[in-house]
Amino acid sequence: MVRTGALLLLCLAACMQPYEGRHEGQWNAMDQVWMSEQSQVRLRAAQSRVFDTTDRMRLLTAIVDTLQDLGFMIGVLDEELGIVAAKRFDALEGGLIYDPNYHLYDSNSLMLFSRTYLSWGPFYHRDDVVRVTVTVRKRNEGQSVVRASAQYYMHAVEDPEPYQRFFRALEQAMFLEAHRFEEPTGGR
Amino acid sequence: MKRFHAAVRRKAPFFAPALLLAATLLLAACNAPQPGPDILAPTEEQTKLRSFQSRTLEVADRQVALRAVMAVLQDLGFIIERANEQLGLVTAARFAEPNFNDLVAVTVTVRAVDAGHMLVRANAVHNNRPVVDPETYQRFFAALERSLFLTKG
Repeated sequence: MVRTGALLLLCLAACMQPYEGRHEGQWNAMDQVWMSEQSQVRLRAAQSRVFDTTDRMRLLTAIVDTLQDLGFMIGVLDEELGIVAAKRFDALEGGLIYDPNYHLYDSNSLMLFSRTYLSWGPFYHRDDVVRVTVTVRKRNEGQSVVRASAQYYMHAVEDPEPYQRFFRALEQAMFLEAHRFEEPTGGR
Repeated sequence: MKRFHAAVRRKAPFFAPALLLAATLLLAACNAPQPGPDILAPTEEQTKLRSFQSRTLEVADRQVALRAVMAVLQDLGFIIERANEQLGLVTAARFAEPNFNDLVAVTVTVRAVDAGHMLVRANAVHNNRPVVDPETYQRFFAALERSLFLTKG
């Protein structure tokens, strides 16, 4: 009984506020550089696929269509650089109680933005933004590499499964089979 | 005091599981939500929504279709944020009626289906939530068809 009570007290002390408990405090921004938990090569392989086309516009068009299918709103688009960035709100931090400010939150400016009310946002809404960046680059005369990287709950998505499913959807949009990406050996 | 202790001891079998449950719940609340395997895969709901959001129009020229899309968005009070002719993409946003407190943002893409037809796809969000009402899209496409007719005329 006493032990259980002590355990409960410990839990309370360890995370007085669940929100704080779900985030690690970073006192030094340099820590961000080392946040990746996976091997860089393995992560890059999971996030990339090779397509047998060099038609960048076709690839970008299919990427935009796929992201639209997934409910993402396109934020950045540069056809010369071959980059598409998009975001979607998943109500992860919404909780059980409805917060009227919740859906007014502008994730870009971190502000509540409306004609009658302007305020700095509740910052915890940042957690709900799912972000994706997709890049297209030419690999050789007949192939292109598409790389997607996603962020969920402010952390990089390092599990290969979501990327596999994304590329499956992209293949269907392209009517083209993608190949696994392997770093060229003997290079730098 | 002795009586209190005796009462606590008697009820201990009930207290302990309750305390354990509370502790587990508290610990669970500390865990950050993990991304599921489906965060980048289309759900059934999204696939269904896609049919409401798409309409094939009888236009041969993509630029004509894009201009009609932009004109309709302007008619509806949207401010065009981005228009990319090569990729056939238009994004726009506006404050929503009746109080103009809320925001509506829309992404429209225009794709050639065949020589004489264009596929227009629109998806909208209302304050970060996707608009899932088919009628909203029907009205948008009705306005777009009218606009195309006017341009042709």
